This record gives sequence, C-alpha cells and structure tokens, in this order.
Amino acid sequence: MSKREIEGDWVMGWPDRKRAELAAGNDAEGRVISGRTPILDQEGLITPTNNYYIVTQLDIPDPVHPDDWSMSVSGEVERPMTLNLDNLRRLPGRSVRAVTECAGNDEGFFDFEQRGAPKPSRRYVPDLTRRASMKANRATPTNDELAGEMGNTCALSGGEFTGVPLAEVLKRAGVKPGAQWVWLKGFDRGRPDPAVQYRSMGRADVKVKDPGVINYDKALPLAKAMDPDTLLAWAHNGEWMLHVHGAPLRCIVPGWSGNWWVKWLSHIEVTRAMPACYHQTEYFVYGATPDDPVKPMLTAMGVRCIITYPLDEDSPLARGPHAIRGLAWSGMGRIATVEVSVDGGENWARAHIEEPRERWLWVRWSYLWTADQPGRQRILARATDEQGRVQPQTPWNYQRKHFDGIVPSDVTVE
Amino acid sequence: MHIVVCIKQIPNPDALAAVLRVDEAACAVVLPPGHPLVISPFDEQAIEAALRIRDQLGPDVKITAVTLGPESARTALKQALSLGADDAVHLLDAAFGSADSYVTAHALAAAIRKLGDVDLVLAGRQAADWDAGIVGLGVAEILDLPSVSFACGIEVRAGAILIERVLQDGFETVHSPLPALVTISNELGEVRKPSLRETMRAARKPVAVWSGVDLALDARCLTARRTLLQLFIPPKNTQCEMIAGSSGNEQGARLAQRLVEARLA
Repeated sequence: MSKREIEGDWVMGWPDRKRAELAAGNDAEGRVISGRTPILDQEGLITPTNNYYIVTQLDIPDPVHPDDWSMSVSGEVERPMTLNLDNLRRLPGRSVRAVTECAGNDEGFFDFEQRGAPKPSRRYVPDLTRRASMKANRATPTNDELAGEMGNTCALSGGEFTGVPLAEVLKRAGVKPGAQWVWLKGFDRGRPDPAVQYRSMGRADVKVKDPGVINYDKALPLAKAMDPDTLLAWAHNGEWMLHVHGAPLRCIVPGWSGNWWVKWLSHIEVTRAMPACYHQTEYFVYGATPDDPVKPMLTAMGVRCIITYPLDEDSPLARGPHAIRGLAWSGMGRIATVEVSVDGGENWARAHIEEPRERWLWVRWSYLWTADQPGRQRILARATDEQGRVQPQTPWNYQRKHFDGIVPSDVTVE
Repeated sequence: MHIVVCIKQIPNPDALAAVLRVDEAACAVVLPPGHPLVISPFDEQAIEAALRIRDQLGPDVKITAVTLGPESARTALKQALSLGADDAVHLLDAAFGSADSYVTAHALAAAIRKLGDVDLVLAGRQAADWDAGIVGLGVAEILDLPSVSFACGIEVRAGAILIERVLQDGFETVHSPLPALVTISNELGEVRKPSLRETMRAARKPVAVWSGVDLALDARCLTARRTLLQLFIPPKNTQCEMIAGSSGNEQGARLAQRLVEARLA
C-alpha cells in the first residue's frame, strides 16, 4: 500500500494535521443530535470531547442553567433531599476513566459473522443527517432499506469523568433495608422512535411497543449503584460536561453500555421493585426472538478487542514489518491478555499491551508482524479480561446488542 | 504560464440555512458565533482547474490566488496556498467594506492588471453565498478578455484553451485564445485535499496585501452600484395534495398527470 498522504489544515493559525472530525447528524436547527467517533484516527486513550460519540433515544432537552438545576432523591430513603450542583461539589469527588460504548455498536458484525452479510466498516459510517431527518419526520425504514444499511459502528469513545460517586449521595440519603433499585430519571422527553428498534433488529416487520411521550429513565441494581466508580458527573475530559453529553449531570456506569449512562439527570428514586422503564424492559434487552418470553435487561458488557490497523481498506500491504494495532476493553475489569493470529486462527501469539491498564478504560495493544507471504491474509485478535472471560461472551440476540465477537482483518500482501 | 484564480471566502454553505438569521433592518445576514468560513466551493473547483493545468503542463505554470475580503479572508488564501497556489494577494481596504459585485470586479481586475503577465483568469461560476454569478464575467468585461462560463474542463493547447462547457441539456466545446477568463462549474469533479506537507510549505509563502490605493482605484470604481432594498426569508407556503386512487397504478397515473399539469414533469 502506498503511504497515505497526511491531510493538512490550519489550526490556530498554524499549518497542522487535519483533525479527525465527528461524523455528525444535525437537526433542522443545525444542532448536533447524533455523532460517531473517528475511532481509527484516535491516538492515545482519551477521545477528544468534540469527537465523543452521541446517541440519544428521546428529544434532546433545552439546556438548564447550572444555577437553576437541582435533582431530587426520594423513594426508599431515610432522608429525601434535593441537591444542586454546589451541594454535589461539596461531597468527596472522584474521577473515573472509562469506555463509553453504545449497546448497539458493531451490531452489523453479528450478521457478518453468522449470516454472511457484508462486513461493516469502521472507516465509513452511516449518513447520520439522513437518519436525523427521518427521525424528525418519524419516517421508518423498510425491510429492504434495512437490509442495505451497514449497521452501527464507531459508537464508542474513551473519556475521563469527574463527579461524585452515586454511592455518596445514596449514603447521605440513607437507603432503607429492602431497597433494590436506583431509578435514574432524565429531564429529556419524547416518544421513542420505532425506527431505532427496527435498525437494532435489522427488520421492520415486528410490532414495537409505543409508550407515548416519556422521560428517559433506567433503574440500576443497587449493587452497581453503590460501586464507587459509578458516578454522578458534571465534568468530562477536564472541562464542564457539554449539554449534548448530558449536562448538568450525567450518570457514569463504567463497564455497562451507554444506555445506562443517563443524561440530564433530574430525579433519583430508590425502589424495592424494578420499575418498568421502557428502555429496560422493551428496548436494550436480550432474547433470541421478539417473541421470546425471557428478555433479560442488558448489564455488563462482554470483552472487546478491535483491530485499528491494518483493516481490509488498507490493502494492499507492502511486504515487510507491520505493527498490528488495536484497542481492547471489558465490561468487567482490566484486560489481562490480547492474542493475535496472522494465519486465520490456527496459531495465536501474545500481543504487547501498553500501560496503563485501567479497570474501565481500554488498553492499546500492538503486535509486530512481518508480512512475508504475498496474497490474502486473515488477521485476528482476541482479548481476555482479569475475570478470565475471553471473546466472545455475548451470543446473538434479536436486538443485536453487546456484540463482542472476533472480527477479522482480511488484507492482501503485495 | 500564469494563472490567476479569484476566490471568495463565504460562510460554510454545508451548514443548514436554519442557523442563519436575517437582520431585516440592517439588510444583513447574521451568522451564529463561530460559524465556519470556507472558500466558496465553486472557487475551490477553479483552484482545482488551475492545478490540473499545472499537472498537464508542468511546474512552470504559476498560480496566483486573489481574494477581496476582510482580515479573515487571509485564511482562504492560506488554504489556496496549501492546495498548491504559488502566490496569494489579499485585497484589503476599509473602502471595500461594502463592496458589491461592481466594486469587487473592478478591484480584482485592477489586481490582475497589476500582476501584469496573466495568461488565464479562473473563477467559480458564482459564489455559493449570494449566487449572483456576476463578478467573474465582470472582471472579463473590465479587462476586455474573452470569457467562457460554466466550464467543466479546460485543456491548454498550443497557446490557446479548449473548454468544455455545461449546457442545460448537454455539453459544448469552445476554443478561446489566451489571455481569457473562464468560470468553473461544479461538474469539473472532485477537488483535491491539502496535504500536510503543502500546508506547511504554504506557511512560508507570503500573502501580499494590496489596498485601493495600491490598485489605483478611483472613487468611481469604489462606489457600489447595487442597492439592497430588502432582505428577508421568504415565507414558506407548502401545500399538500393527496392523490387518491383505487390502486397503486391508478394513483401513480394520476400523480404523473398532476405533475404534468403543474409543469413539474
């Protein structure tokens, strides 16, 4: 492959590399309402805030001035309370670095691996502006259109979040014995767009429940809510959180997919029974088919490992040394090993994992490969986490959530 | 060979019109803070046309980018340099502050005259902000150059140019002697992107700044001829007509008939 020319731009008046940009979808007012991270262009572990992926289920609410915002804590607690940002910022704070990943990220790879569908790309993401326009008109795709869509990729980012552990707030409120769930409610409202579920399933011939206009909400099991790394965060990547990412306050649930990271928090209610949150009982659930009577809610993600170089699109590769590179992370702890195969899975060798290996953030890994055989080569990479879990952990499910399979890079060597 | 490319910096036309506001009292478009400014895409294609001529003829082709605009327009010239232009001239003067097409054409023409040895002037077919399409051909008129509009291809042959022009229902090929002015249409095709190496090289290229005095423009040339009487967003008057029919075929036939009646097909 001829070396790709580095694109130039003027940054702060200086000639510089062109910065990678968020692939964004805008609403009729020109505001960004969805975005995908240029993950292949990321160097390092933290995704710049402007490139952080954006997925929202309901309408993005009007911003609330931080001085006007407050959040109530009620339900099965000894001391119901209302907290503003100043109150929260007086509590013992914490910063957590974690991967945020949409539950449906890489959903199309399920079909690639199990049904022979075309391989999705991480370099070319769907036209989000068209989707935003369809959403505004509540237009739904047909089965034929869905068959032609690539599926969701690049809905993942890594960031640093600063706030206060949710547990600190719950301790001060005093959780009553018997309480099991922490119901997180956002002030974003809207009527869920059925096209979202159709795209998730890859089919539009299934009846989807219409709950009407609702607020976004999720109910965390108490144990996860009390994890010291589960945060109520007001800052992201060293600055105040952006409105589009959930300011003034967003819940950070490391290891669990993005739908748990409730944005625009306005209310916390502690309950004994799991409330019937639409995005917990109807959407973001496992199950073999839409009719499956058992549809467990999604919780921790599996083990993930992606190759960022070389990809199919990088062919043909020159003969000689290449650093196979990628990222690996897990929903249940640190990455222990990453293994690479350059012969289609017959032999595996350990890759080098770069420090730091944080509990919730991804690691960068690399493997030096000497490509001395011309022709087509299949490169594979798989990760194992500190719990001993190895890819893949998540079986096919009808909403195609939490894909964690091993995706090959099929390259040609000159 | 010396090619001059006239470019204009405009608000990014890819941004949705909904983010723009109109100050009707001031007859002005109000941009949201931080709205990105770019080279008008048709002018980018004019730069691309010049670069393709250099690809064809070799490095002896010199390309000069010229723009008239406020301080911020220097960025557009820097972008042109990073795409491969050799020189850049910024026409900057408080007297250009309310320049209309007439003043702009006179200033650009004076700059081209001052450059002296110009063989070919290229411009976008129109600026993608106001879409007037006057300045390019106005420059040709002032300089008494042959002009060809809506080009989608240019080839230099034996000291003259062959231009492929876009027509409403096809193309035509036009021969012109040099010097000449050609406006470039989007049918020229994809434009190249600046490389980091060229961008770094561009940082070392100077941008000449010429004022109205440098161009020896008299008051007549600096007096706008256009008067903007009113600027407003036209009210939307959308009507929806449902086409009835007992079958899809019948609905389709009626829809076709209705479109013909409305002269839309």
